[in-house]
Amino acid sequence: MLKYLKAALLTATIAAVAAPAFAGDPEEGAKVFRKCAACHSIGEGAKSRVGPELNELLGRTAGTVDGFKYSAAMVAAGEGGMVWDEQTLTHFLVKPKDLVKGTKMAFAGLRKSTDVANVIAYLKTFSEGAAEAPAEGEAAASGGTEVAMAEKPAAAADAPLPDHEGVFGLGRLATDDEVAAWDMDVRPDGLGLPVGKGTVADGEVLFTENCAVCHGDFGEGVGRWPVLAGGQDTLTDDRPVKTIGSYWPYLSTVYDYVRRAMPFGNARSLSDDDVYAITAYLLYLNDIVTDEDFELSNENFTDIHLPNEANFKEDDRAQEPQYAEKKEPCMKDCKPGPVEITMTARVLDVTPDSDEENTGGGID
Amino acid sequence: MSKQSRENLDKKAASRRRFLQAGIAGGATLAAAATARAAGDPAITEVQDWNRYLGDGVDAAPYGQPSEFEAHVVRRDVPWLTADPVSSINFTPLHDLDGIITPNGVCFERHHGGTAIIDPAEHRLMINGLVDKQLVFTMDDLKRFPRENRVYFLECAANSGMEWRGAQLNGCQFTHGMVHCVVYTGVPLKYLLEEAGVKTNGKWVLAEGADAAAMTRSIPMEKALEDCLVAFKMNGEALRPEQGYPIRLCVPGWEGNMWVKWLRRIEVGDEPWAQREETSKYTDLLPDGTARRHTWVMDVKSVITSPSPQAPITHGRGRTVISGLAWSGNGKVTRVDVSLDGGRNWQTARLDGPSLSKALHRFYFDFDWDGSPLLIQSRAMDEAGFIQPTKNELRAVRGTNSIYHNNGIQTWHVKGDGVVENVEVS
Repeated sequence: MLKYLKAALLTATIAAVAAPAFAGDPEEGAKVFRKCAACHSIGEGAKSRVGPELNELLGRTAGTVDGFKYSAAMVAAGEGGMVWDEQTLTHFLVKPKDLVKGTKMAFAGLRKSTDVANVIAYLKTFSEGAAEAPAEGEAAASGGTEVAMAEKPAAAADAPLPDHEGVFGLGRLATDDEVAAWDMDVRPDGLGLPVGKGTVADGEVLFTENCAVCHGDFGEGVGRWPVLAGGQDTLTDDRPVKTIGSYWPYLSTVYDYVRRAMPFGNARSLSDDDVYAITAYLLYLNDIVTDEDFELSNENFTDIHLPNEANFKEDDRAQEPQYAEKKEPCMKDCKPGPVEITMTARVLDVTPDSDEENTGGGID
Repeated sequence: MSKQSRENLDKKAASRRRFLQAGIAGGATLAAAATARAAGDPAITEVQDWNRYLGDGVDAAPYGQPSEFEAHVVRRDVPWLTADPVSSINFTPLHDLDGIITPNGVCFERHHGGTAIIDPAEHRLMINGLVDKQLVFTMDDLKRFPRENRVYFLECAANSGMEWRGAQLNGCQFTHGMVHCVVYTGVPLKYLLEEAGVKTNGKWVLAEGADAAAMTRSIPMEKALEDCLVAFKMNGEALRPEQGYPIRLCVPGWEGNMWVKWLRRIEVGDEPWAQREETSKYTDLLPDGTARRHTWVMDVKSVITSPSPQAPITHGRGRTVISGLAWSGNGKVTRVDVSLDGGRNWQTARLDGPSLSKALHRFYFDFDWDGSPLLIQSRAMDEAGFIQPTKNELRAVRGTNSIYHNNGIQTWHVKGDGVVENVEVS
């Protein structure tokens, strides 16, 4: 339990410290306040109407404007010690009936967190006491807040408010740096390619150092590791050799995959220029470029097309004869005579430590 | 388990293997049973240790394990299939399981960069690309969205892929064990996408894992909004690390490779990304040298799990239960037929247990075996009207180099002594 409270406190502290990030703009808030002005007045000579007047709101105990007939719930909230400050107002303005169940205020709440911050900033300009209020971060870090949290675990509901509109108001906005750190995919049309360049000659050095241990010096593959070059005109053979040159449809896949997952076991250790160079070298190994001085860059990348690009088609399994008819299956005498065994399992012992010689097809 | 009992088990397992390999000396089993009858079965007439001495107390196993007598029920791999264990596959022991739910500890594994070990407190799910707001969710955030529970099978597209060229592996664990079925708890991907606000030109999503392969797959938006789930529980407990802890994507009915584990990012875009796993891999090479791509749906399929090569008939003739699994990426399985004569004549099997869309279905065929050799097969039909084809029907259209999507009818040859072998038939 103690651990939980500590964690909750930490969250609350971070939230409070983060609060100035949403510091509102009073001028924008004045516009938002038009929604409130149907019921509330503010400024010189303001009087309570459908709702209480809102001068000196920040720092005011809830339910205490003389002469205004509050709901019992609002009076009780004030008697319980609730004071209107940035935090309580933020909560109240997002969903009034969440904070004070039974309030007379019929307003459903402001959906945009920026609107909430702005209107509070606007309200502050009519609250002289607000300027002297301690900063939120200090307040949250003080012992007093800790006690309040400990007494009222429900205050865990004072979680950071959403910084975005949304059905659920969950999560937070990603920063540009965060998106850039993870969004490294590259598409065939070149979308996502970083600025950079590298030559075949540079690529050969990098490939020998980083890739050849598994893929072989010339992309021929070591053991069962993937063959990367050659295999042209083998796709109709009994044992096709599917390589970048013979099978892969797009060069962008090479760049994308090397950048995201290679070298195997040391992913993301190559620079963008290194990846251009290695990609250029793979083009060279596959005879798609023939000049060792060829330089691949984000400028000329999409000019290059791999030979097998046109030979991919969309899924049409449903049109295959065994599926297309959807006829009732045969139940009796479906084969002319007794059925013969035409082949038995070639690998008779498949215990994991079997030393059987494999002649079967791989699955990778 | 004590050292001694482990040694005993090893001995038992070894002798069991020898027993199976040598074929079944049916007579010996029967003779032993006859002796037991005459003198009274010692399992009954003698007081057993477990009937006299106290067992372990409640603290012996804070996280329970299967009986030590089930220690052989484990995932197994076939080392020669792939280059390295960290980018490889192992297989669910289907022949030893029943019902439709796969226990978490034996769900097959397929990794492209090993099992990522991720502290959930450090895990983030990002939604970026063609959305109104690019968002980041923590695990705590995800658990505040409305949840759903769904039972789905997950089948690797390469399941049975070794069998394109003919019968190769002796055991349904190896021929069909790249499938499992659990109940997932998670948040519909739709809710996360709605929270971010998909722009009108957002037609595809890219799912990306946080592992050392940063696995990626493109998924059409229609599917993402239809039934994809961001799951954090399987069979009631947290996902196992090898299944994507803390979160994985469920893409019901579609090939397992798309169910990105250790899910960290969903990008929205207007075109597919042509990633490595959807171009060089998971595309289906045809005899004319062209290849199909975007073959996502797992076709209607079934297999008899017992008897099968690893689960021979040991009781001799008489009452026999054929047990098997059927599934379809198109929805529910509506019917399974069983043949005992290699597909010449068929009888409809009994489906038992829940019938859920895109989940495993269990079927049984109960019959009196007369001890003559059998060629047993199963054939499933799904609610879309598709019928599981024969392997030869598939080969006639697709040749033998497709690797993926082999859902052909499997034949097991049950010999007179109860030994079972993987065969192909005329």
